[in-house]
Formats: sequence, C-alpha cells, structure tokens
Amino acid sequence: MGDLDVGNGAKVYFRLTLFDGAVAIDITQTTISLFVVSILIIVIGAILGHGITRRPGRKQALAEKLVLTIYDLVESTMGKHNLKYAPFVGAVFLSSMFGSLIGLTKIFRSTTADLMVVLGWALVTTGLCWYEGIRNKGFFGWLKGFGEPIVFIAPINIISEVAQPVSMAFRHFGNIAGGGVLMTIVYAALGGVSTLVFRGLPAAVASVMPPVFQIGIPAILSLYFDLFSGLIQAFVFSLLTMVYIASANPPPKPKLTRAEIKAAKLELKAKKAARKAARKEKTALKKQQKKLLKGSQSHTQYT
Amino acid sequence: MGFEVFTDKFESFIGTNFWTMIIAWINLLIVFLILRKLLFKPVKNMIDSRQKEIDDLYADAQQSRDDAAAMKADYESKLENATEKSEEILKASLRKAQLKEEEILKEAEEKAARTLARAEEQIEMEKKQAISDIKNEVSDMAVEIAAAVLSRDIDKDEHAQLIDDFIENFGENND
Repeated sequence: MGDLDVGNGAKVYFRLTLFDGAVAIDITQTTISLFVVSILIIVIGAILGHGITRRPGRKQALAEKLVLTIYDLVESTMGKHNLKYAPFVGAVFLSSMFGSLIGLTKIFRSTTADLMVVLGWALVTTGLCWYEGIRNKGFFGWLKGFGEPIVFIAPINIISEVAQPVSMAFRHFGNIAGGGVLMTIVYAALGGVSTLVFRGLPAAVASVMPPVFQIGIPAILSLYFDLFSGLIQAFVFSLLTMVYIASANPPPKPKLTRAEIKAAKLELKAKKAARKAARKEKTALKKQQKKLLKGSQSHTQYT
Repeated sequence: MGFEVFTDKFESFIGTNFWTMIIAWINLLIVFLILRKLLFKPVKNMIDSRQKEIDDLYADAQQSRDDAAAMKADYESKLENATEKSEEILKASLRKAQLKEEEILKEAEEKAARTLARAEEQIEMEKKQAISDIKNEVSDMAVEIAAAVLSRDIDKDEHAQLIDDFIENFGENND
C-alpha cells in the first residue's frame, strides 16, 4: 500500500488492437470485474432457479422471495402493464449491487466505480424510454412531445432528456467511486497516524509494529461507504430506471367507442342547457321580486 | 491483431473508455437474458401456477360448501315434510278408526234392536198361540161340560157351534 491510487481510474491490464490498430480495446480492472460479476450473478441465478418444484424448499423460498420482491416493486412503481420489465430491472439491480459489493473483496474493482459502466446502463434506460415513447405515440408524436407544452421549451426538454442519464450515471458512479476514494484516504491517514504514534519508539521496534489504527476503524466506515452505499445506490438506480420507463409508458387508456363519445357529448350539452335554463329562471324570479318590492313600497307611499 | 501488456497504466478517474461501456452492455444483456430464462420466468410461472391452483382449490371448496348447504336445506325441508306427513297419516288413521268404531257400535245397536224386535214378535205370537190354545181347550171343556150337564144326545155339531159362537162373542167382548 505504498502509493495512493486515489486520482486514478481502473487499472489497464492490456490493450487488444484489431484491424491494424484501427480498433484498440483496453482490458481494465473494470472489464474483468464486469465478467466476474456477470458469472457470479448467473451462477447464483442458475442455482436459485434450478429444480423449481410446486412444493418449495428452503432454496426455492429464497428464489421466490427475490423474484416476487422484484415483481411487486415493478408492479407498484410501474404498473401491471410494465411487468415485462421486471427481469430487466432485476438484472440492473443485481448487476449494480454485486458490481458495487465486489469492490469489498479488494481483489476486484467495483464495476460501478467506472463511469462508463453506469453511464451505459443509464443510456439503456434512456433508450428504453425512447422506444416506449415511439411505440406509444409514433415517431413524430414522440418528437412533438419535446415541444410541449410550448415549442420554445424544446431546448430545455432536450437538455433534461440528456441530463436524465447523465445525472443517473454520475449519482451512482460518484457514490461508489467517492466512497472508494474516501476509504483509501482514511486507510492511508490511519497508517500515517500509526507511524506518528510509534515514532517515539526505537526505530527497530517501530519498523516491525503493525499499523494498529488501520484495524477496525476502516471496517466501520466501509460498512457505510461500501456496503450500505452500494445497496442504496443499486436500489436508487433501479428505482429511477423503473420510474423513467414507466413515465414513458403510461397505463393504456380504456378505448371509448364512437357511440360512447357521442353519448358523453350529448350529456354535456344537456347539462349546459339545464344550467342555462336554471340561471334564466333565477334572474326572472329576482326581477319579479324586485317588481313586487317596488310595488309594495309605492303602495305604502301612497297610503 | 496486436497485444500489449501494461504493468502500471491507469485510466483517468472519470473513465472515458467507450469499450468499457460496450462490455457493460454486453454483460447486462447476457445477465438479463440468462436470469430471465433461468430464474425469473420459471419462478414466476411456478408462483402463478401455484396461485392459480390455490384459487381453484378455494373455488372448489366454496362450490362444495354451497352444494352441501343446498343439500342440507333440501334435507331439512324434506324432514319437515315427513313429520307433517306422518302427522297427517296418524290423523287420518285415527279418524278412520273412529269411523269404524262408530260403525261397529251402530251395527251392534241395530243388531240388538233387531233381536229385541224379533223376541217381542215371538212373544206376541206365542201369546196369541197360547190364547188360541186356551180358547180351543176351553171350548172343548165347555162342550164336555155341556155334554156332561145335559147328558142327552143333542146334536154335537149344533152344540159345538153354539158354544163356539158363545166363546167367540165372549172373546171379542173380552179383547
């Protein structure tokens, strides 16, 4: 732990160049972590999903709990018509959670500490929003949606459309990467404290003393910055994914038949006419009252 | 195709390696597809089918409960009918018995009355017989007495006629 890699991103292991250097693929810590996380999730998913029977055992109860939780969450935030997105939301949630938590191993770097990963996921969400928008309103209808409620607001709408994945990605990335940075700094600082305290001892003893302050304290901080933050960010990210897609795919309106529309219009007309008639009657009544009052007054005047 | 290994090369903190994004997409797609196939679909299908089975079971139970209630009501109404019917039968048989009793009594009374009448008739007849017998005897005796008294030969037939007339008159006067 000699050098601090606080300002650095993922370590690049090697570079693959294809087509005579036209394409250069950097294989980094993040790449490795991504594959490790994927394999981990797939293996866990396969074990949980294997041998599903009518009478659930302990393992199946866990699988059902997990699946049902995700389905319930999707149904409550996106509506019943969006239940098809549950596996996608589950995949995003698990990828994010395991991607953040794998940083705890200190062997692999958190995948979510790489902006490109979370930005990629956020862009998938944006893509799905656009797909749903185009599917619901048609391409031009979707384009027109940017000019609502007035045309002049279109640039702002476009900016907000861009800001959506960017904010999503930076929120997630910032939380995890920032937590990692903080943990590294705290770790280094505690090492410094150790050496500072042991300076009073003879050099021979101080050199063999372990950095005792590094024991225990980082674990508590790590509980928050790595574990809690990882879980929360995974939840927030998938929740935002759900909310954005759901807003792009509102629940289908019940289709009215032409006769029903006609009936509704007629009813409205009848109501209007009735109101008008009532008003007329009221004014007439008032006039009459006034007249009567006047008459009685004049009568009293004469007597 | 080139291959270059680095020992101490880092990306910038805010990474801009577009290939990482592409690899993230590929991984997400793989995870999504495989999880959907191996975990979400089978588990969800199982939960749904079990839910459906439970719903069916409950519906069946409700159905049989309704059937049982209907049957019970049916039996109860039948039972009530049966008691009513048995009462009716009892009443009918009682009435019948009463009728029969009355009939028997009436018959017996009639029979007794008939017997009495016959007896009276017989008595009457015997009385008449006795009277006529007595009449005959008396006439014979009278003839004998008269013969003995007169002891003369008188025409027997004339005398008998005489006495008969006498007795006849006597009997008529006596009746």
